[in-house]
Amino acid sequence: MTAAEYEQAFVVGAEHGLHARPAGQFVTLAAEYKSEVLVSRGDEWVNGDSVLSLLSLAASPGTTLRIRAVGVDAEDAVRRLGLLIEGRES
Amino acid sequence: MKISNILVQEAVILDLESKDKDGALVEMANVLAATEPSLNAEKLVSVLRERESLQSTGMGEGVAIPHGRIANLNQLLVAFARSRKGVDFDSIDGQPTHLFFVLVVPESSGGQHLKALARISRFLRDETFRESLLEAETCEEIVQAIQAEDARF
Repeated sequence: MTAAEYEQAFVVGAEHGLHARPAGQFVTLAAEYKSEVLVSRGDEWVNGDSVLSLLSLAASPGTTLRIRAVGVDAEDAVRRLGLLIEGRES
Repeated sequence: MKISNILVQEAVILDLESKDKDGALVEMANVLAATEPSLNAEKLVSVLRERESLQSTGMGEGVAIPHGRIANLNQLLVAFARSRKGVDFDSIDGQPTHLFFVLVVPESSGGQHLKALARISRFLRDETFRESLLEAETCEEIVQAIQAEDARF
């Protein structure tokens, strides 16, 4: 199977931004997918499997983050993780 | 925001005595409360416990950042602790935790909390920095390592 790549931007909607709990939820959810997940704020890309890396982005409410996934389930992963970033799925 | 401007050397624990999660929280809260007269140790312990009950602040990679909000606090406070043997902190990767930054913020400071958390996380995601904390022989060396990291960003 060929690896697909999918990328989309999301605006942080979670009440307090991407703080420790949503970052932990992100990592746990990302682990359910086979795809490799990356997250960026501006030019800086970090691994979506590290709570410390996600927290280091200091993503307050209203911040735009891009999620990129590479793998067989890339699009599903990005869409679902995007909902979490937007605060529409906990 | 410089972490080394906030962290005082008296709030650094070179090697935790506690081997379990709750004991570690109590030990760290006591040390931090001793540096700030307005901070009640028991209150701090209950705030930290409550936060841990929602989800562990064991972030993986051997690191935990227990944190919470305290009413009527004048400023952000930070403590650092290290455990050579490691503590089972229910971390997200299931591995023992060796490095702890405790972060306490005033009730009303929304953005400051996220910024401090982000800065500490940025330091700790760097394996070289984690190693320098693990290898430090004294509290002074830990403070120096944090000062050096603060100077980089």
